[in-house]
Amino acid sequence: MAIILYNHDLLADAYKVRLLLSLLGMDFERRTVGILPGKGNDAPHYREINPAGTVPMLVEGDIVLTRPEAMLVHIAERHDKGGRWLPADPVARAHVFEWLAFAAGELTATEAARLQAMFGLAPSFADAFAVARTAFRLIEGHLVRRSLDGLTFIAADYPTIADIAIFPAVALAADIGIGMEEFPRLLIWARQIHALPGFVTMPGVREVI
Amino acid sequence: MTMTKDMAALNDWYVVGISADVRPAAPRCTRLLGQDILVTRKDDGTVAVTLEGGDEDGRAARAEEHYGFIWTTFGAPNRGIFPLAEAFEPDRRVVTCGTVDVGASGLRLVENFLDMAHFPFVHTDILGALDKPEVEQYQAEIRADVDEVWATNCRFWQPLAAAASKGGQMSHYVYRVVTPFNVLLYKTCPEAPDRFDVIALFSQPVEADRSIAYPLMVVVDSISTDEDIVMFQQKIFLQDRIILENQRPRTLPLDPRAEIPTRADLSSVAYRRWLKTKALRYGSYEYEEA
Repeated sequence: MAIILYNHDLLADAYKVRLLLSLLGMDFERRTVGILPGKGNDAPHYREINPAGTVPMLVEGDIVLTRPEAMLVHIAERHDKGGRWLPADPVARAHVFEWLAFAAGELTATEAARLQAMFGLAPSFADAFAVARTAFRLIEGHLVRRSLDGLTFIAADYPTIADIAIFPAVALAADIGIGMEEFPRLLIWARQIHALPGFVTMPGVREVI
Repeated sequence: MTMTKDMAALNDWYVVGISADVRPAAPRCTRLLGQDILVTRKDDGTVAVTLEGGDEDGRAARAEEHYGFIWTTFGAPNRGIFPLAEAFEPDRRVVTCGTVDVGASGLRLVENFLDMAHFPFVHTDILGALDKPEVEQYQAEIRADVDEVWATNCRFWQPLAAAASKGGQMSHYVYRVVTPFNVLLYKTCPEAPDRFDVIALFSQPVEADRSIAYPLMVVVDSISTDEDIVMFQQKIFLQDRIILENQRPRTLPLDPRAEIPTRADLSSVAYRRWLKTKALRYGSYEYEEA
């Protein structure tokens, strides 16, 4: 059963799904939803399957997913034969869920700030830039503590979907004027993600860092 | 924020919205040259621009619609909106590509649009290839008869020149700066190599160092959907935006000693010289609020 991704190339949430699919070497069908500009997500046929009108949306057979972190879990669970992107080990797995919740929580402020800065969209945070900066500090602090144990990645000693859920916000920080000079450990971590076989970029993410 | 007093800037036309987005029930609040404005559409279909706040609160400014955009001026331009014959060809697609906010002067946007040297590095594998970075010799001139800046005989190897491209091509470019904040280019059309696609970048100078960019595509393309054409252009422009937001100063220095041009910057040199002859200062490094 083929995966269909209702996609927009400029959204960080769609990028994290494309990135995982690419890292797994998977083919999928992408269908562009006409937004930024446009209201393609308001079209009746789209709202019928996705009442919230969110983009991206992933459809695989009977499964319809509208939340990017849920898509990462689903793709890893069903298609990662190696079982590494969503580890079976309870400790690593718990950490993955913790950081997925973080990515779906305060880290969304970075995308809100980005869409505000680029397209003038009203953010759902009072000060999205401040929340984004605080979120970056939290990841930086976590990675610094991990580095004391000789670990590079967010939730295990190898990359997991927790890294993929967090990476787009960090890689697109320049779009909201946050420089990586404030977050040296984040930069080192981002370089490791760049180096993964199958890595792809999106507009705003540099080919080389 | 108050309206600039730069007469050269005031006496020109600017895009302040996309025609299709401004409806009787959906007016647009925005800012031009430091002045807040309200763009509205009446029930009879005509558009109006009204100044909000400042010394001339409530004054109506001239408003016209061309090429899918709403244009306005606060002053008395000595000419109308520039002609663009291609927009009226029956088989052309005229596609407005949304808006992007940029923390840089509109003059910086025009200068970046004129630059070919950044293609391989900023638009890698799309508008340029890292192993083919050379800008071949081209000509740039100020055309006094039409009061525009033109760059001609530009050539650049492009892996993916347009949404409809199936492979690489040697693209031929002609650049045309029609007003200080509005620029277009003509480039080889992948589908009809004897014709040129037209791509325009209109910038609304919100403040001296802040802009809203409006890309426009006027293309011969029987394959791509509107969404594909918009997406192609948006991707390109967001790559440019990173560069634009990181340039310092955010305004454009007109003093020839301020930056070091190379042979590839011939069009930029002509552009800056033209701005100086027009006595335009708004958006330049030399500009000071009166």
